[in-house]
Amino acid sequence: MAAALALPGVVPAGAAAQSIPDEGRVELRYLDYRDWQSGADRMRVKSPSFHVMKPFAGTWIAEGGLVYDGMSGASPRFHNTLSGASGEGVRDYRTAGDVKLTRYFDRYAVGVGAAVSSERDYLSRAVSVDFRWWTDDRNTTLAFGFAGSSDRIDPVNEVVVGRKRHTLDFLVGVTQAVNANAILQSNLTVSRGHGYYDDPYKSLDTRPDHRRVVAWLTRWNQSIPAADATLRLAFRVLRDSFGSTSFMTEAQWVQTLPAGFTVTPGLRYLTQSAADFYRDPPFPTGFRPGEPYSADTRLSAFGAFTPSLKIAKSFERGWTADLRVDFHRQRGSWRLGGDGSPGVEPFSARWIQGGVSKSF
Amino acid sequence: MRPVASLALLLAVATLASCAWAPPRPWEKGELAKPAMQFDADRLESRIQEHVYQSKEAASGGYGVGGGGCGCN
Amino acid sequence: MRLHRYEFRAMASSHEIVLGAGDALHAARTAEAMIADVQRIEAKYSRFRHGSLVSRINRAAGAAAVSMDAETAALLDYADTCHRASGGRFDITSGALSELWEFRRDPPRVPGADEIARALALVGWPSVERDHRSVRLPRAGMRIDLGGIGKEYAADRAAAIGIDGGIAHGCVNLGGDVRVWGGRPDGGPWRIGIRDPDGGRDPIATLDRFDGAVATSGDYERGFVVDGVRYGHVIDATDGRPVMHWRSVSVAAPLCVVAGSGATVAMLLGHDAPAWLAAQGCDWIGVDTSGAIHPRERRP
Repeated sequence: MAAALALPGVVPAGAAAQSIPDEGRVELRYLDYRDWQSGADRMRVKSPSFHVMKPFAGTWIAEGGLVYDGMSGASPRFHNTLSGASGEGVRDYRTAGDVKLTRYFDRYAVGVGAAVSSERDYLSRAVSVDFRWWTDDRNTTLAFGFAGSSDRIDPVNEVVVGRKRHTLDFLVGVTQAVNANAILQSNLTVSRGHGYYDDPYKSLDTRPDHRRVVAWLTRWNQSIPAADATLRLAFRVLRDSFGSTSFMTEAQWVQTLPAGFTVTPGLRYLTQSAADFYRDPPFPTGFRPGEPYSADTRLSAFGAFTPSLKIAKSFERGWTADLRVDFHRQRGSWRLGGDGSPGVEPFSARWIQGGVSKSF
Repeated sequence: MRPVASLALLLAVATLASCAWAPPRPWEKGELAKPAMQFDADRLESRIQEHVYQSKEAASGGYGVGGGGCGCN
Repeated sequence: MRLHRYEFRAMASSHEIVLGAGDALHAARTAEAMIADVQRIEAKYSRFRHGSLVSRINRAAGAAAVSMDAETAALLDYADTCHRASGGRFDITSGALSELWEFRRDPPRVPGADEIARALALVGWPSVERDHRSVRLPRAGMRIDLGGIGKEYAADRAAAIGIDGGIAHGCVNLGGDVRVWGGRPDGGPWRIGIRDPDGGRDPIATLDRFDGAVATSGDYERGFVVDGVRYGHVIDATDGRPVMHWRSVSVAAPLCVVAGSGATVAMLLGHDAPAWLAAQGCDWIGVDTSGAIHPRERRP
């Protein structure tokens, strides 16, 4: 049997979980995001993005991407605070790009990448290295990743100038083909940073200058041939040194339909506890000079549901198109195993994204 | 959360994995090759999802390293 | 989800590809790629094609080494494995023997010992000079024949192309060498019938498989009868004579190339075949020269 497996092409290429992609791919995407909260203005983001991936010289993969976010309206992050930004709402943009080069060897692959993200008041630069090693049967892959980023914050209200933040991220993960119909991935990431974490646009916002986030993400993809479908599950436990702990679970059902269509309904649920220094409205309850303090609702305790629906179709000659809608709602009372932050109004967001890609 | 919850999750995953444990041989990987079974297909889509949640929730992580930060956080 | 069926001829037999797919165009394009690869393998390895690599190697016997690519080297490595597994009975250089026994004499007669000895002089896989890049047959008139491997290899490759092409359910039948994957779209296994060596219309047995391969080796396609004894075309390279124990052996294995070579080796091993097949862990069905079906529990 082993001798037969040495014959070229008798084993499907996809069977090699770590096979080198033999086709390039280019993708264009457009995101339309908006959110709302009673008593706050809407925030809207329109964001085109682009990604291209191309194998070359047999064992190399080059990829790169660009994204532009055009934001308008006020963000709920200004909720109940004395905003220092312009009074008539925010109009801002972000541009970001990244490149990555990966080299495949017989039993392992090494990638190096760089990313930059630029806003009027924020510049982030990051470099990363990742290493993947797989067993002979390619059923098990171990991944190690390391990234460092250096950020510079120059808020337009000039409450501070040129403040820095440095972050180091580590990842260790394993991907395992469990059986002919299931594949499992479990990643542990640790992010350690120090520097300026305050929100300069929120009065009194004062956060610790060190942060450590540990996240454990486990995903399980289960093929269900009898239904011509795939069930995708994800669970994540996350602990933030700011004091917040969250648990996330997500399920998607990818249903194959005739004529190249797939329909994917999904549901995501997240529950998080509040950061230690988060204080519920009314502002500025609980503020004590010299101690960490934030009224940022993202740091409050809440539960959030996000149902989503995606429709995709593949066409001839490597073309695909898809459309996805997500509807997100946060409520204090949806928090699991404890009360949410009572002073926060329910928050809603919806985003629609459409993409076109072509393999070449 | 809780060491208890983490342990429960670990046990659940381990149980699930062990009762289905039969790593496929090379000729049994047809199903695993489907696009829907990949973790890293649809790069831009997953990046957008992560980015949106990153700006809505207290913290993010787990999916990878090296994307670069942004002022939304 | 529908079954799309494509029939075509190559390698001097008729072939069939059945694909379960929702999109007829997707199925047709994938089938085209699969058929193209089968035709490519035939063009490269058929000993009946003047321009094939195998013909070039055979024409250069006794003369120069012929350079070959990695695919050919891998096939020869596999042939070497089969040669060793069968104690030298399976030999891709036994072409001179096949020709001797397949030659239609009128009236039919069994070749004499001198004729067999002359043919045996042109047989001998261990004497073939090869490395990863080239192969040379040492004696003029020596030849190789990838029958028993090539068609099965083509079936496995066609299946891999179908799977990689996103076809969830498929069945490839290259002249009786069958490879299936994903079960049938209705959720059932592919039902693979085993042909009756006596030419009866009904299969003698059925093997159900979701994934895997079934191949049959038998002497009922070619052969002759003298004095009530049937002489087939599966020749033992160690003594130069057709094997007499089995009329056909069908073997199930994950890959068609394993099933095919396993069936041929089983034919050659004669009464030792059941033990050998059991050791390989293969499901199998054999019909002996008396017409009895083995293993016993298979008997209808």
